[in-house]
Amino acid sequence: MPIIRAEKLKKTFTSAAGATVMAVRGVDLDVEPGEFVAITGASGSGKSTLLHLLGGITLPTDGSVWLEGTNLATLNDDALAAIRRRRIGFVFQRYNLLPELSLIENVALPLVLDGAPANRSTQAAHEALVAVGMDHRAGHRPDALSGGEQQRGAVARALVTNPAIVLADEPTGALDSANSAVVLDLFRQVVTERRQTLILITHDPGVAASAGRIVRMKDGRIAEIVAGDASLAPPGAHRP
Amino acid sequence: MRLGKLLLRQWRLRPGRAIATAASIAVAVGAVVATWVSASVSKTGYDRLAEVIDGVPTVDVTSRGGGRFVVDDVPHIADVPGVRAVVPLIYRPTLLRVKENRVREIAVGVDAAGLVSIGLLDLEAGEPCRGEDEILLDATLARALGLGVGDEVLFFARRRIERMQITGLVKPGSMNWFAEGASVIVDIKSLTSLARATGMVDRVRVVLMSDGNRSAVQKAIGERLPKDLMSEIPAGRASLAEDVLHAANLGLDFVTGLTVAMAFFIVGNAMLMNVSERRRGFSLLRLLGATARDIRRFVSLEAALLGVAGGIVGAAVGRAAAGPITAGIARALQSPESASAVAPWIMPAAVLLGLLVAVAAAWWPAREAGRVDLLEGVAAAPPPPPTGVSWRLITAVIVLTSLALATQALVILGYFPPRMSVPGGIGLMMAFIATTPLLLPPIVKILAFFVPPWLKIEGTLAVEQILRQPVRTALTTGVLVVAVSNGIGLGHAIRDNVDDVLGWYSRMMKADWVLSRAGLLQGVAEDQPTESQDIGVEDQIKALPGVAAVEGVGVTTGRVAGSACVIVARDIPDTGPLPLEPIDATEVEVRNALARGEAVAGTVLARRTGLKPGDEVQVEVFGRTVPVKVAALVVDYTSGGASLLVRRDVGRTLFGMQAADILLVTAATGQQETLRKPLDAIATEEGLILRSFGEVRKVVDRIVQGLVGSLWAILGLGFVVGSLGVANTVTMSVLEKKRTLGLLRAVGMTRGQVTRMVVLESVLLAAAGSAIGLGAGMVSAIFIQLSSQPLLGHPVSVTFRPSVVATNLVAAIIVTALAAWLPARRAVRLDILEAISTE
Repeated sequence: MPIIRAEKLKKTFTSAAGATVMAVRGVDLDVEPGEFVAITGASGSGKSTLLHLLGGITLPTDGSVWLEGTNLATLNDDALAAIRRRRIGFVFQRYNLLPELSLIENVALPLVLDGAPANRSTQAAHEALVAVGMDHRAGHRPDALSGGEQQRGAVARALVTNPAIVLADEPTGALDSANSAVVLDLFRQVVTERRQTLILITHDPGVAASAGRIVRMKDGRIAEIVAGDASLAPPGAHRP
Repeated sequence: MRLGKLLLRQWRLRPGRAIATAASIAVAVGAVVATWVSASVSKTGYDRLAEVIDGVPTVDVTSRGGGRFVVDDVPHIADVPGVRAVVPLIYRPTLLRVKENRVREIAVGVDAAGLVSIGLLDLEAGEPCRGEDEILLDATLARALGLGVGDEVLFFARRRIERMQITGLVKPGSMNWFAEGASVIVDIKSLTSLARATGMVDRVRVVLMSDGNRSAVQKAIGERLPKDLMSEIPAGRASLAEDVLHAANLGLDFVTGLTVAMAFFIVGNAMLMNVSERRRGFSLLRLLGATARDIRRFVSLEAALLGVAGGIVGAAVGRAAAGPITAGIARALQSPESASAVAPWIMPAAVLLGLLVAVAAAWWPAREAGRVDLLEGVAAAPPPPPTGVSWRLITAVIVLTSLALATQALVILGYFPPRMSVPGGIGLMMAFIATTPLLLPPIVKILAFFVPPWLKIEGTLAVEQILRQPVRTALTTGVLVVAVSNGIGLGHAIRDNVDDVLGWYSRMMKADWVLSRAGLLQGVAEDQPTESQDIGVEDQIKALPGVAAVEGVGVTTGRVAGSACVIVARDIPDTGPLPLEPIDATEVEVRNALARGEAVAGTVLARRTGLKPGDEVQVEVFGRTVPVKVAALVVDYTSGGASLLVRRDVGRTLFGMQAADILLVTAATGQQETLRKPLDAIATEEGLILRSFGEVRKVVDRIVQGLVGSLWAILGLGFVVGSLGVANTVTMSVLEKKRTLGLLRAVGMTRGQVTRMVVLESVLLAAAGSAIGLGAGMVSAIFIQLSSQPLLGHPVSVTFRPSVVATNLVAAIIVTALAAWLPARRAVRLDILEAISTE
């Protein structure tokens, strides 16, 4: 059974000027557990909107998203929030750490929001920071960290609840090549060691090629799905 | 609270935002506290003023059907909380023979010894009267008659003449609270015996403790009385009495209500800005799994904590700010310092108010924060603010306006008490503010045409900034609208009411010289010995060279249709303007009706009794009931309008009101000053008080200005608070735009240009807010006047006063410009990179 299934997914936006934009125009996609799927495409092709739909950040205008057998459209706001806290980890291009909190507090935030005891959430956050090699900067606030360090912190935050799925929207887009390599290595661990599902948007053909499948988006539709070299895929993982 | 740490960190990282929000709450709470305290002092002062005018606060027990009643029918009421003394009274017109003179007087029967012992009657000399042949005389009357302690007079009673010894002289003014014009005191048992009315009284006057609540005591006494007796507030005998004070109290309630509304807007605006700044953070929290409820709780918790902190500071600041204002009000109203004592519950109530206002004002921002788009936090740029006007807003305007107008209509028709006008007026104010998002864009665009060419760039950008944030701009403007409309509305209402009162006084008291008696009244009933003769003061004055006219005014208390009122009998000159302002009748009609022996009624008396022009009413004076036809209603402030006026000759015939209490002397052209000496001589000889019209006017002005001064002081306070609110709001708004200002600097604008743009934006906002506030203010003025109509019984017209408008508009624009200039200067001095990096 796929961990995520998208059926005839459509999403329409109305701009401030009143114009209607159909960002996603009928997408069908199944993602198996432990799979690494890369989504590529030109700007405005609908890849970010598709990712947001798959993560329950926004609801489809038509069609449905099934996550672990549950139709997200049937869930209320609290249940969707619980899924975001427990089952999905998000990583974005602009790091998006809260400037008021230290790095470890940022990482612990999903657990804190889930009501975990303070010592357990701090312990888990510390372990996540160790995993991304940032435990030595745990007490620093984001404005004292470099872009690469912040993104590693963001990855730690996405992983701290041990989610089933990690959704990453151009996580290396704002990083230099050295930091990109470090972050990609962290995603390799996600797939190969933690056996979590990874859906990642990227413009980098090299990064895309390392996925098990590459979904190419064009004008809100899936133009093609091709196999990657699955260099990041764990042994025995689903392959196209 | 799971996000408590985040809240504390946010405060630590951005203390300015939290401090500015708490400051807004402090300003708002401080305003309400200061207004509360000042209004409370004013109300206490009004009560004291009423006491000065009317004497000590009292409640009367009278017969429901009028006339005398058996004193033993009155149950025990001395133990009613707030009661100081229970004083049975009986009045008896009489004649005193002093040597060769016969003087008409009213004798009052009272337990003089008892009153002296509890300090309710002061003697200038001698002892209180106790025996059947003893009397007390008002000291002024005694001096006029050349009498002293130990002298004897002949006292004419029903079919008897008694020789009475004067045992004491009463200090002038000391017996005003029960004398009803009497200047002679006889022991009550003696007088009832002389009047062959043993065991009977005209009324039982209940004296209240100084802190007693008159309405509560009246109600408590009323509950104990048998069916045929009733408790009532005695009719005032002075020019400015209870109903006028009620109107002033209504004004105070209005100011307090508007201050609360303004406080709500100040806090609401601060909360909205506070929350808007953090939308991206809230969005990110939602993205990471926080529920909408978590976010709402976060915002509400912050509001509650800042509300308590702001409430504590505001309570202290408000109390401190109220100090000089209340001292000024106490001075203006000549009330004692103790009047400024603050009720102990005000401080905790203020803290609670801070909490409630903050949480209530945070409701909408919290709701919006909970609904934040999850993608806003990860978007490269914040989404554009919504444009256009929602149907919900238009519906709110229509509903609020309808409710306010319906409330007002029900107040005018008498279905609602006048106090209900306050929430009605505030509702209308809210409706006006709700129109701001509709009206602001076109007004700002029109105002932009008046921006001088050398400020064209700054002007264009300023207009753009205003139109970009319609909701927040509307809230900032809302504070301005409330502040400006408060000033304009109440400014007009105060001036119009003062002009109405002074206009009435000028009509009533058109004279160069005024002579009055300290004991005021002489009235003689028909069953008095007919050999009596007047002192002849009027004739003496008429005979003086240089006197053009002498008008006499007699005043006494009575009852019309069961309601206590003042009966005025005055000379109406055949020529010249009528000294009355008729409603729905011409001067000629009123003059003719008065000549026919009919009466005119004050509007408040008409409202109380439901009488209409053409009605015949039963008028009771000194236990005698006479039917009188009411020809018309007139604007009158005598006893607050609870008055019935007849021609003097009619008063003499119908009620036996022989002599005048006040003589209005008009001098021939150029003779005013030459009359001073002869009039002074007559006044000294007859024990009268002589005052020029200017001196009388000064006394009236002092009373009126005392009332008005307190309203102005509180209004001024409201304006200062409004200014602080606007300053705080504008400051927050400018600081929030640091990034935008930094970007403008980065693309080449000079510091001066950016500063001018920010100041211009605020000036445009102030001008637009003032324009809306002008409309709201004038509507408020009409609302206030309509609200006081049921109290005054007549409409007070609203006159457009450019000086009031100009003062408010100029002050609003200067305050707003200054409030913008200071933070703008600070913002443009920031390093450009630092400003750009501001989230």
